[in-house]
Amino acid sequence: MEVTTTDMPESLIDNDEIAENQSLIEKIAASEIIIEEISRNHKLLHRHRLSKPQIHIGRDYHNDIILDDPHICPSHISIDEIDGQWKITDNQTLNGSYIENKAQKKRPANEHIINDGDIITLGKSQLRILFNHHPVEPTLPFSPFESFINLMRHPVVLLSSLILFTLIAGNVFYLNTSKEVNFSQLLVPTIGMTLGFALWPAGVALVSYLSKNETRIMAQIGISFAFFNLMWFSDFLEGVVKFNSTSDSLAALLIVLISIALAFSLFWLNSYIGFHMSARRRLVVAASMTLLLFGGSYLVQYSNKPDFDPRPQYNATIMMPSFLISSSASVDDFIEDSSKLFDKTKQEAVKE
Amino acid sequence: MKVFFSLALFLLGTVLSKTSFAEEQAEQLFNQLKPSLFQIKLIDKASGEKSSIGSGFQISNDGIIATNYHVISSYALHPQKYRIEYLDGQGNTGDLILKSVDVINDLALVRRDVVQETPYFQLSKASPHKGEQLFSLGNPHDLGMIVVPGTYNGLKRESFNDRIHFTGSINSGMSGGPVVNKEAEVVGINVATSGNSIGFLVPHDKLVALYDSFLKAPPNSIEQQMTAQLMASQNKLIETILNSTWQEKQLGEAAIIPIIDVPFIRCWGNSNADKADALILTAVANCSLDENTYISSNFFTGTMEIEFRTMQAKDISTNKFYHLYQQQIAHANAGNRADKENVTEFQCHDDLVMPDNQAINNKTVFCTRAYKKFPDLYDVLYLAASVDKDQQAIVSHFTIAGVSQPNALAFTRQFMEAVLWK
Repeated sequence: MEVTTTDMPESLIDNDEIAENQSLIEKIAASEIIIEEISRNHKLLHRHRLSKPQIHIGRDYHNDIILDDPHICPSHISIDEIDGQWKITDNQTLNGSYIENKAQKKRPANEHIINDGDIITLGKSQLRILFNHHPVEPTLPFSPFESFINLMRHPVVLLSSLILFTLIAGNVFYLNTSKEVNFSQLLVPTIGMTLGFALWPAGVALVSYLSKNETRIMAQIGISFAFFNLMWFSDFLEGVVKFNSTSDSLAALLIVLISIALAFSLFWLNSYIGFHMSARRRLVVAASMTLLLFGGSYLVQYSNKPDFDPRPQYNATIMMPSFLISSSASVDDFIEDSSKLFDKTKQEAVKE
Repeated sequence: MKVFFSLALFLLGTVLSKTSFAEEQAEQLFNQLKPSLFQIKLIDKASGEKSSIGSGFQISNDGIIATNYHVISSYALHPQKYRIEYLDGQGNTGDLILKSVDVINDLALVRRDVVQETPYFQLSKASPHKGEQLFSLGNPHDLGMIVVPGTYNGLKRESFNDRIHFTGSINSGMSGGPVVNKEAEVVGINVATSGNSIGFLVPHDKLVALYDSFLKAPPNSIEQQMTAQLMASQNKLIETILNSTWQEKQLGEAAIIPIIDVPFIRCWGNSNADKADALILTAVANCSLDENTYISSNFFTGTMEIEFRTMQAKDISTNKFYHLYQQQIAHANAGNRADKENVTEFQCHDDLVMPDNQAINNKTVFCTRAYKKFPDLYDVLYLAASVDKDQQAIVSHFTIAGVSQPNALAFTRQFMEAVLWK
């Protein structure tokens, strides 16, 4: 498309002034060059904006860009502006310099005319060359999650989530211990559990720090514990549903979907806070993490499952009478429902 | 003094002569019966080695030998894998053919080819009387045929299927051997021991019945015959239980449980009343059928267990009480041993159930698994946990192995209505 525009006959351009202005802009633009030092996975390390007709790059101290890489020669390359174009000159270096871009493969950089977005490899370092007309991504609006994340990382809210989590964990320990326990006996496992769960947001923050993203550890902790508390709640809800429903009902399945949704949301927000990535990629990452968690735990269960289980697997969830909300079946109904099991197992017996 | 001496000598003499008489009698019996006694061996075809041994005795002139079902059970279930062999007193061996079994009374009939007529055991016409001296014959631990004298102590009172209580050491390998009276007539068959000279015998009339029915109509297939026997046995058991009185009994402070008034179901009780630091006061009543039916070393059936457990919270919140209570009911298991070859996995149904009298509200679980070789027989498991009182609870639980669907459901219904709050 661009080619056809520039090749347009001059008579079609009805305003000469605009054309003149444009060439002026191009001239100024051409004498400015942006050189980015980037890491191997193309993350930005440093950015230099230069407006000189000749730029020297190398390891010694009279260079315009000094690179601290032992595989780079003291005067490695120079870039010269000739007629609005930038040309690389390799100063017969030991390890050479190479150029690559999206369209072409890696090849020697000497005498190469630079295009916008080219990447030059010298030694073990990489430079990306951009001109100032290089397009940028459209501005991202603040996501509604941002305000939620900010609320969760607010010190008061963060502390309350942590305390709530610790209290629930302590209560769960207390309720399931069959001996009498005192406060300090509960404290150690409870604090241990809270610290254990804090490893997750800390780990995510560490990974985002290592991958040169913003760490935002408070936001990670705030969001993670808010969701851990929601998961406690969904556990409780699952208990109530299992207690009140019969084995034939689908309500228990619905609850499993809730916990999957919670895990997915947590992973999505973790990656939203910790990493810059496209919306699609973030969905894929969160979905894969969820799959790994649930699929992995299912696989572990499945692989531990014996070939034949002589024990019955049944739902014996009971809760105190105040959580009893559904009405009870009659003996007749129960016998009727149970009688269906005989045919089911009989078919299985015949099948094998 | 002289008189006294001679009297002592006389007494000593009578004692001596008495023991030697018993010995002589045993020896005489043994020699007389030896030709009709056999060691029964199950030979694994692939390895050619014996996989189990027992004893047997001939009961007809055409070569029918009686033994225990459990001696030849592997063959009955896998006839292609094994063959049955006998070894007689002279060291002769030969193959045996399985003819008929009584799986409930642990009996089997096998047949050997006879060329000439051989002596055989006579089956007694009458039961022995209590205290009568009997002689058990068999080949313990492959050590050779022996004779063990002992005493008849009547039928075991608690057993659903009759067993003779015999005082005398029966050891493994003697299974299937005959027990005879002084007239050398068979009155029982060695079947089990519970150590310290307590042995159990299958009464001879079971063998008579099996042999008679074999003469009348030999079974078409051993598996079908076993199915029919298991079916009939559980029918008899459940019918007896449903027609017996179910006594109401109080357990713990407020629960009413049924105690089935039949001698063959025995109950035991326990509680943690002595544990001062327990958070929940628990009382348990456990009733069970004190016998089972051997099908193979991995598969037993015919068992029945009933358990009641009351719990009373001591100074703990209702929430904590229910958490601990839930742990108590999470691991109910089948009452009988069974493996993949013989049963399916359990399938369960659960619901909240309140009987029409509204005397209790239970979270109730019912599970069943089907038998693969014996159609229409099932193992069932029932568990009900009361959820209507804040500080106390009753768990009622039973398992029955090898029961038909109608019997299982009839028992379950009666059981469900018999457990309630006072």
